[in-house]
Amino acid sequence: MSEIASSEGGKKGKGAGKSHKTTSTKVDMTPMVDLAFLLITFFMLTTTLSKQQIMQLNMPDKNDKNVDRPDVKESQAMTIILGEKDKVFWYTTKDGVPEFHETNFNPEEGIRKVLLDKNKTTQDLIVVIKAMEKSKYINIVDLIDEMHITNTERYALVDISKEDVTLVEKQVAMFPEAN
Amino acid sequence: MGQVKSKKGGISLDMTAMCDVAFLLLTFFILTAKMKVPEPARFEVPSSISVTKLPDDNVIRISISNEGAVFLTIAEQSTRRELISKIDEMYKLALTDKQKVKFELIETFGVPMAELPFYLGLSDEKRKEFKQKGIVMDSTNNELKGWVRVAKIINPALRIAVKGDRESEFVVFSRVLTSLQEMNLNKFSLITSMENKPSVE
Repeated sequence: MSEIASSEGGKKGKGAGKSHKTTSTKVDMTPMVDLAFLLITFFMLTTTLSKQQIMQLNMPDKNDKNVDRPDVKESQAMTIILGEKDKVFWYTTKDGVPEFHETNFNPEEGIRKVLLDKNKTTQDLIVVIKAMEKSKYINIVDLIDEMHITNTERYALVDISKEDVTLVEKQVAMFPEAN
Repeated sequence: MGQVKSKKGGISLDMTAMCDVAFLLLTFFILTAKMKVPEPARFEVPSSISVTKLPDDNVIRISISNEGAVFLTIAEQSTRRELISKIDEMYKLALTDKQKVKFELIETFGVPMAELPFYLGLSDEKRKEFKQKGIVMDSTNNELKGWVRVAKIINPALRIAVKGDRESEFVVFSRVLTSLQEMNLNKFSLITSMENKPSVE
C-alpha cells in the first residue's frame, strides 16, 4: 500500500516538478510540535507530582528525665483522643472531672471549630493528643494538620492511658446509634 | 498579490521556532525527571498544608504499607553498600558477594532479617513477585532499630522520614516512633501530599 502510494507520489512529483521547484521545501511541523508538547506535558506533570512535602514532628526526649516539665494548669489543657472510624473525642477537666465531647474531622463544625473556639477563650492552650489503637495513621496526620491550621502551637503526642480508654468506651456506650 | 496567494494555500504558520522551544523544554524535563521506582506495596500518603520539601539526599525513609508492613528506603547506593556489609557482620547472615550486590541495587526493602538471604538469592522476576512481610519490630527482636542504628553510624546526617499509608493503623506508626525514640531519635519528617490551606477567620 505504502509503496504504491509513494510511487504514485513520485510520479506526480515528477510530473508536477517544474511548478513545485519554485516553492521552497517546507515541512509541515504541526504534528511534530503536537508530539513535543504532549511529551512536555507528560514530563511536567510527572516531575511536579513526585516532589514530596514533609510535616515535621518533634517528639520529647524520652531518655532525658531531667527535662523540666512545665506546670500545666487544668484550665489551659485540653485532651483530644482519636478513636476508630475517624471519630474524635475531646475533653477538658474542671476540678478533676472531665467534660467529654465527641466530634469529627468535618472542616465546618468538627475539631477545627472546637480548636478555634478554645484558642479564643483560653490563653496558652496546650493540647494533648492521644490515639486509640484502632485509629488510622491518616487521623494523626490530619489532627496535627489541624493544629497547624488553627495555629495551636503547643501540642504533644502522648500514649493513651487506661482512664482515657474507659472514657471513650463510656461515650460510645452512651450513644450507640452513632456507630 | 500576496492576499490572493494566501487564500489559495490556506493559513500556514512557520512552526520552526515553536518546535525549537518545545523540544528545548522537552529536553529539560526529560533530563530533570526522576524515574519513579515501582514500590513493593501501597503507600498512599495523607495530605497536609505543610509546604516544606523533602531534601533529596541524606534521607532514610521508613514506609508503612496499608497492611502494616514496614519498609526501609535508602536512596544512596554507597550507603546501602556499607549498610549490608555491616548488617551481614552483625547478624551473621553469611551473605555472598553476589547477594550483597543485589542488595545494593534494591532501594526499598521490607523483609525480616531471617528471610534476607533467601530474598536476595531470588531471581529478579521472582523478587518482584515476592511478598515482603515487612521489617520485624518485636520488643525482643527489633530489627528496625538495627537497620537504623547502622545506617546512622554510616551517615550521621541521615534524616528520618516516615511515609505512612492513609489506612495503616496507628499502632504500627506508634511502634516505629517508640523504636526510634529509644535510640534518641526524636525528629521525624512525615511525608504528606500537598493540600491547600483552608481559610480560618
